[in-house]
Amino acid sequence: MDFKQFLKGLQAIVGERNVVYHSDDLLVFEYDGSVDRGMPDAVVFPSSAHEVSQIIKLSRRAGVPVVGRGTGTGLSGGAITAPGGIQVAFPRMNHILEVDTENRLALVEPGVINLDLDTHVRKFGLRYAPDPSSQKACSLGGNIAENAGGPHCLAYGTTTNHVLGMEVVLEDGQIVNLGSLARETVGYDLRGVFTGSEGTFGIATKIAVRLLPVPEAVRTFLGIFPDVESACTAVSAVIEQGIVPAALEMIDALTIQAVQKVSDAGYPDDAGAVLLIELEGLQDEVDEIGEEVEAALWDTGATQVRAAEAAEEREQLWVGRKGALGALGSIAPNYFLVDGVVPRTQLAPVLAAVADISVKYDIPIANVFHAGDGNLHPCLLFDERKPGALDKIVEAGTAVLQVCVDAGGTLTGEHGVGLEKKEQMPLVFSTEDMAAMVLVRDAFAPANSLNPGKIFPDGKKHTPHAHTAAPGMTI
Amino acid sequence: MEPSLSDQLARLLGGNLVSSGDGHEIDGLTPQAVVRPVNRIQVSEVLSWASSEMVSILPRGGGTRIGLGNVPRKADVVLDLGALDRVLDYQPADMTATVESGVTLASLQEQLAPGGEFVPLEAALYERSTVGGILSVGTGGPLAYAFGLPREWLIGIGVLNTQGVATKAGGKVVKNVTGYDLNKLYTGSLGTLGVIVEASFKLLPIDAHSGALLASFPSLADSIAAGRKLIQSPAAPMGYHSVTSVVSRHLQDSVQAASQDLGLGEEETALTFAFFAGRAKATGRRLEEAAALLLAEGAKAVQRIEGPAARGLLRWITDVPIEISPSPDLVIKISVQPKSAARTSAECGEIIFSGEKPEQIVDPGFGSMRLFWPMPIAISASGADTTQPILDAVNQVRQVAHRYGGSAVVEQCPLPVKRQIDIWGDSPDSLSVMRGIKDRFDPSGILNPGRFLGGI
Repeated sequence: MDFKQFLKGLQAIVGERNVVYHSDDLLVFEYDGSVDRGMPDAVVFPSSAHEVSQIIKLSRRAGVPVVGRGTGTGLSGGAITAPGGIQVAFPRMNHILEVDTENRLALVEPGVINLDLDTHVRKFGLRYAPDPSSQKACSLGGNIAENAGGPHCLAYGTTTNHVLGMEVVLEDGQIVNLGSLARETVGYDLRGVFTGSEGTFGIATKIAVRLLPVPEAVRTFLGIFPDVESACTAVSAVIEQGIVPAALEMIDALTIQAVQKVSDAGYPDDAGAVLLIELEGLQDEVDEIGEEVEAALWDTGATQVRAAEAAEEREQLWVGRKGALGALGSIAPNYFLVDGVVPRTQLAPVLAAVADISVKYDIPIANVFHAGDGNLHPCLLFDERKPGALDKIVEAGTAVLQVCVDAGGTLTGEHGVGLEKKEQMPLVFSTEDMAAMVLVRDAFAPANSLNPGKIFPDGKKHTPHAHTAAPGMTI
Repeated sequence: MEPSLSDQLARLLGGNLVSSGDGHEIDGLTPQAVVRPVNRIQVSEVLSWASSEMVSILPRGGGTRIGLGNVPRKADVVLDLGALDRVLDYQPADMTATVESGVTLASLQEQLAPGGEFVPLEAALYERSTVGGILSVGTGGPLAYAFGLPREWLIGIGVLNTQGVATKAGGKVVKNVTGYDLNKLYTGSLGTLGVIVEASFKLLPIDAHSGALLASFPSLADSIAAGRKLIQSPAAPMGYHSVTSVVSRHLQDSVQAASQDLGLGEEETALTFAFFAGRAKATGRRLEEAAALLLAEGAKAVQRIEGPAARGLLRWITDVPIEISPSPDLVIKISVQPKSAARTSAECGEIIFSGEKPEQIVDPGFGSMRLFWPMPIAISASGADTTQPILDAVNQVRQVAHRYGGSAVVEQCPLPVKRQIDIWGDSPDSLSVMRGIKDRFDPSGILNPGRFLGGI
C-alpha cells in the first residue's frame, strides 16, 4: 500500500477533515515538551474506540507505526514519532462521559484535560488528585501513558493509584477492558502495568478514574530559608513528626531570582530556598498539625513563615512555585530539565553534588523540586546558539542522573523514559530486568508497532533540540 | 531408576532443607517434597533445576491462603520461602523499607514500629502471613477503604524468573516511572509469573490515636445504608464493616472478653464495626460525629472503644474470614461498585443453600463482601446430587456480582465442586493478553500451573 492509498484509508475511517498531512499543519505535532523532535507523516483525529481500532488495523497492514498523542506536554519525548509513523490525537474524544458521585468515579475520554476534569468534579465536592504542573493543558490519556505525578502525589499517589479501569485498543485492533469499576478485579493487574507504559502497549479510549472528596480544610505554609540545606532539614523535621503533608515543594536561590525578575512573588532577594507545605484534612487536623509544621519551620532556621487558608491567598503562595520554570527564561534562553529521584534523606547531599556539576561544567543549574518525594528537577540553563552547548548539557544531565542513581535513586520520577533517557536505562536495570519488561510488551504488542523506539536502549542517538524557556512552561 | 524429586532436591541443597510433602496436600494432591531454601541463591537453584526437569513448583509463604486457587494441574514441589525473612533496609526518615519476601507481616510491623512507622498491608493471621504471600494474593483487608490494595504500597520488587535468574522492577524511591511498572503485574499474580524474593514498600507514620465504634442495627441492610452515609461524610472512618448475626456473636464474644457490654444478642441483629485513627482531636471528633450519625440512621446502640481494644477488634475482623468456626464449606468473596454494595448484599442474602441464608461481612465503602454458608455440609466425593446445590449457589452469586459490575471469587468450597468450576469466575476479554504474559514468563508452565484465572 503506498502512502496515498494509506491516507485515503485513514480519511475513509475518520473523514477527510480529521486527517492532517500537509507539512505546515504537521509542524505542531513535531514536538512535545521535551528536547526531541520527529515529524509524523500524518495525524489522525478519531471520534471513537471503533475508529481508533480501524486506524490501528489499517496502519498494521501498511506497516506504519502509530503513536498516541495527548496534548504534547510530555517531557521525555513520549509523543515524538518514529520516522514513517503517524500520530493519533484526541481533540475530538474529550468528553467527560459520567461523574458518578456515589461511586466517586468519573468516566472520561482520553482527550479530557486534567484540570477540566478536576474543575468539573469539584462542583460535586469531589476532586481528581493527580495534578501534574501542566494540568491546565495535559490530557488524561497522556497522564495514563506517562503515569503522571504532580505536587500532591506525596499524599495521594500518582496516576496509577487513581485509575480504576480503562478501555484500550491493542496493536491488533482488538478493543479490551482492563480493570473494572469495582475496586478489586480478578486476573493480572493489566490496568496497573498499562499505566506508565508510554503508549507502547495500546491506546486508551475510555478511562475510569477514582475521585476523592474535597477536604474540609486546606492550609498552605511558605517558609523562606537562608539556604537549601536548612530547608532540607525542615523537610526531615516535618516528616520525623509523623506528618505526611499533601504537598512539600521547594525552589532554590537561582529559581527565586528568576521568579522575582519576572514578577514579584514577595521573596527576599537574598532568599536561599523557599519551601511550600500544604496540609489537608479536618479543620482540627489542619490546626493541630499546622502548629507543629510552623514550629518546625522556625526551629530549622526559617527567616519568614507565611500561612494561608483562603483559596486565593493560598494561590498567591503557590505563584512563585508554579511560575518557576517559565521564569527561568529571564536568566537563559534555553533549559534542559532533569527528573531524577532520590531517597528523601539524600536530598541535601545530592543537591550539593548537583552544585558541583554546575561548577564543573560551568552551567547554571536551577532547582525546582518535589522535596517530599525526593523528586528533583534540576534545570540546566544554557544558550543553544553557543557552539557545543547542547552536547555539554546532555553530558552534564547524564552526570546528574548518575549522582541520583548512586544515591539509591532512579532516572525519572514522573516524566517518563521516552527517548530522552532510554540510553541511561542500564544505569538502573540489568539486561534481564529489561528483558522481563519487553516480555510484557510482547504480550500486548508483539509487533512493537505502537510508539516504537522508546524506553529501551537501542544505541540510536536521538537528536536533542534545545528547548526555549517561555512563560507558561511548567513542571 | 530415576531418583525421587526429594532425593534430587536433597542432592541440590542438602537433605536438611528438604522434607516430605505429607500434610501439604493441596486440593487432593500431595506434593512429593517441600523445600525450604535459606537464601535466594538456593531458590534460584531450585527454579533452574525445576525448569530443566519440568517439575511444577508451588511457592508458599506462611500457607494461610494456600488453598486459594483452582485445582493445580500438577503439584510436585512446595517451595517454602519462610526462611528468607530478613528486613534488608529500613530508613525511617525515607519512610521506605526493603524486605525479603518470607518475612511475616507481624515481624515486619514489629521492626518498623521503633521508627514510628508501619506498612499499610493487611492480612489474616499476620503472625504467619508473609509479605510475599500477601503480594501474591494481592487483596486488601478491613481498611482497604483507606489504604486500598497492596499494589498501592509496593515500590520495588525482586523476582526470580522460572530459570532462577534475578530480575527487578521499580526501586527504593516513592515516585518512579523508570521502565514498565511490573510491581503491579506481580502483585496479585498468585506466584504464576516468578518467585518474589524481595519487596520495597512506601510506609506510613503510625497514628497516635485510634478508636472504633460498634453499633447494633435491626438489620444488615440498615447497617450498610448507614455505612454508605457515613463514608460520604467528613467523619468517614478508615474502614466500615457490616456483619450478620453469627459473625456478630463472635465479635461480641471478643468484646465481652474486653468486659464491655453492648446489650446485644437478639437473633436478627446486625453489627457495625467502624475504625478510626489519626490525631487525638480529629479522631475524637470523627468518633463523636460518626456515632451521632449511626444513631440517627437507626442504630439501636453504639459503643465507643478506644486505644488498644480498638486495634484488637480490627485484628479480629481481619482474621474472621479464616478463623470463623465452625469452618464454613463455602466462602465467596465479592467485589462490586461500592454504591451497589447494599443491593448486592441484599440479593445475595436471599440465596438459600442447604436451607440457610449466608452469613455476611460487608465493606460498603470499598464495595467488597464475603459470604459464608457456615453449616457443615456433607458432600460425598463423587455425588453430583450434592454438588449441584453448591454450583447453583455459586452461579446465583456470580450473576448478582456481574449485575453490579463486579466479580465473585470462590475462596473455599468442597473439592468436588472446585473440580467443576473456575474459582475466579468468568474470564475477562483481556484473558488473551494475560495468557500471553504467562506463556512468555513461564513457557513450560511450572509455576502454580492451573491455579489462576482461566487455568493460567
